[in-house]
Amino acid sequence: MGFIVYLAWVSVAVFVFMVAYRALKYASMPLSLRWELYPMPGEPPGGGSYMEEVDYYKKPVHHNRIAGLLEMGAEVFYLKKVKEHNKFGIWPFSMCMHWGIYLLFLWVLLLLVEGIFGLDVILPVTNIIGKIAFVIGAFGSLGLILKRAGVRKLSLYTAPEDYFNLLFLFAIFITGIISWSGDPSFTLSRAYIKEVITLEAAPVPLPNIVIINFILVELFLIYMPFCKLIHWLAKYFTIDKIIWDDAFKVKDSPQDKKVLKQLGYICNWAGPHLVPGKTWLDEAQIVDGGGNN
Amino acid sequence: MGKKDITFNDMAQLNDEPLLSLRVEELMRVPDLGVEPPIQPPPEKWRANYDFSLDGHAAVGVPKPKNEEEKARLVRGFLSGLGKLFDPQNNWTFLKILKLTTDYCMRCQTCSEACHVFEASGQQEIYRPTFRSEILRRLYKRFYTPGGRLLKSFVGANVDLNYKTVIRLLESAYRCNICRRCVQVCPMGIDNALITRELRKLFHQEMGIGPVPVFQKGTRNQLKTGSSTGMIPAGFKETIEFIEDDIGDRTGKKIKIPLDKKGADILLLHNAGEYLSWPENPGAFAVLFDAAGINYTLSSEHIGYDGVNYGLFGDDVEAARIALKHLMVAKQLGVRKVVVGECGHATKCYCVITDRIFPGDLSMSELPRESCLPLFWEIVKSGVVKLDPSRNNFPTTLHDSCNIVRLMGIVKPQRNVTRAISSKFREMTPNGAHNYCCGGGSGFAIMNDFNFAQWRKKVSERVKAKQILEAFKDCLDPGTEKYVIAACSNCKGAMRDIIGHYKLWDKYRITYGGLVELIVNAMVDLPKPFLEMEFIGSE
Repeated sequence: MGFIVYLAWVSVAVFVFMVAYRALKYASMPLSLRWELYPMPGEPPGGGSYMEEVDYYKKPVHHNRIAGLLEMGAEVFYLKKVKEHNKFGIWPFSMCMHWGIYLLFLWVLLLLVEGIFGLDVILPVTNIIGKIAFVIGAFGSLGLILKRAGVRKLSLYTAPEDYFNLLFLFAIFITGIISWSGDPSFTLSRAYIKEVITLEAAPVPLPNIVIINFILVELFLIYMPFCKLIHWLAKYFTIDKIIWDDAFKVKDSPQDKKVLKQLGYICNWAGPHLVPGKTWLDEAQIVDGGGNN
Repeated sequence: MGKKDITFNDMAQLNDEPLLSLRVEELMRVPDLGVEPPIQPPPEKWRANYDFSLDGHAAVGVPKPKNEEEKARLVRGFLSGLGKLFDPQNNWTFLKILKLTTDYCMRCQTCSEACHVFEASGQQEIYRPTFRSEILRRLYKRFYTPGGRLLKSFVGANVDLNYKTVIRLLESAYRCNICRRCVQVCPMGIDNALITRELRKLFHQEMGIGPVPVFQKGTRNQLKTGSSTGMIPAGFKETIEFIEDDIGDRTGKKIKIPLDKKGADILLLHNAGEYLSWPENPGAFAVLFDAAGINYTLSSEHIGYDGVNYGLFGDDVEAARIALKHLMVAKQLGVRKVVVGECGHATKCYCVITDRIFPGDLSMSELPRESCLPLFWEIVKSGVVKLDPSRNNFPTTLHDSCNIVRLMGIVKPQRNVTRAISSKFREMTPNGAHNYCCGGGSGFAIMNDFNFAQWRKKVSERVKAKQILEAFKDCLDPGTEKYVIAACSNCKGAMRDIIGHYKLWDKYRITYGGLVELIVNAMVDLPKPFLEMEFIGSE
């Protein structure tokens, strides 16, 4: 007991804190101009927004949240657009790697549930999920590494950091497979989880491979919010808060007040048609070409 | 240089040799196009003075720097603007989208084939939607993030920056129509098209560099004279008189077009390009609205008669200035709402973009803005104007403006109208929100400096040429006249290019025009057709 137990708790704390911090950071950025994209969820494939109606502003606008959730779900769990539009054949690998990650976290969660509540009944399910996670995750991450390295049109855009991220994931999954091969019913993994929950040393010494596997998972939790792998959170903002944000502005609404505030920001662009140092509202009222032009 | 060899650092090559030399044989093949004119290199006198080192074409035409100070100034200006793009006060308008797009593109290249420019070019790397944005992304990392400064190569922040990178990036920002088709297929909702727009903004708002037809002769001219065409209010009034006479000639009707009518229901805002290039379009509006009893007015106020807002293409300040003027004109007239005529970018500008530029009484809830297309369908559906589709007894197809369909979701009204008034209508494939850009979008249609028109006709407009020919493949016989409906001024400019350059009128009798002209052509009480099936090119 010691470092590896505390690392588990620290990793969860860092992850939660950083995800909340990132979410708050994006949510508190200035209100951008409308930049939506059609069709919206639930609209016919060929389009069909509320702006198709004369006097649309007098009519109620219905947003189909369920269709939105289904569309988001299709992306998260099926990578639908990658499947339909990616010409480099990355979908099977990407799908396996993503599901490997989902199942890896589900496996850890189930181990925790078993440990906390003593729910031995779910043990077979936990074991199967863990095995599937490691196998498909390793297959997917290795496949993506080879794809990115082997196809020049992908490798041109792939930075060492991207390979590192994929290798990191591959390392988690491959150590998981090795750990599982020496411990087919994950008894030792359960012992580690028990140690984390109770803060008491395991009754038997844990093999290095089990410890390495969990340390990698925990380091991954710490690392993820600092790199691109947190794109799942960004996706909520790019899609739900920008592409699907089609509501028009109403006078005196919270949005309206934000716009008023932002028009007071200083516009310091140096183009010859601008007068630096003025507020955005002042700049907008200059129609004669500004001070420098 | 072959297309497979390009890397990001090639953008910094100090020689004047273009990174890419386009050849017709390497472009996407278009059946039924026949032999087409070859791509001409730029004349030597241009090359001596201006930079053509991206692809042998120039949209902006940056003069070659004469000394080290001029080179350094380009780099300094670029870096200064790059910082401002990511500053909440200087770029509140698009910071959130830009930051997310910069940080979270997974570079999976799922978007590539959605791009008509990339496809038409024969998949040239420099036109891939992620190419220019990846360079911007890496430069931002290198100069403005701790990770980039500390771990330069590891995070990919090792793109060279010199005056050539700056000039090539600038030109590259005008090789994308910002149609956002790539965003539609992105699993992450990443907006590489927005990066193109932000790059343009950096160059114009910070350095005053951009295509002359869009900014100096566009927004600047509009703010000074009242119109991007240079038309002053007195000239506008004369044009209206000419259109009234033309209506008389075409229809036998004596129609007085309402100007500056206080308290009208609608302020109708046309793209001023219509008055000069396609006056039959505002004329047809007048005939239709008169027949339908619509209570509307045009404005003859400074800027109020030109709905164009080229600030949309890359300058937020200019966009706000022009939009404010338009909205104030509407307020002063006391109209109930603004309806934008057949102009895609102006419609999106007033119905979507300007919604969050101004507060209070200029909010959409207080001063609503709409597209003309739903109103057309209301008129047609109501039966108040008697229409006979057999009067449009020729094959038609509908080109969708990206601004109207993909960026506003207005898809059905124009189709409902077309089906009601045209007996031989057929769709292009794909269409609606998944359409392809005409190739003239985001200002390209009016950009004719240097040899940019050649690039536009050969590359950005190529997919649309293919779509048009495919839509009419069952009736290409020149004995049958055919009509491409384009309810957008920029798109009409592109249609004129395509039909003229590829000789589609001469070979196949394909012409183009707006939707409202087709509606009026179907009016049963007109003694003769309103439409003249002909093609007048710009060359």
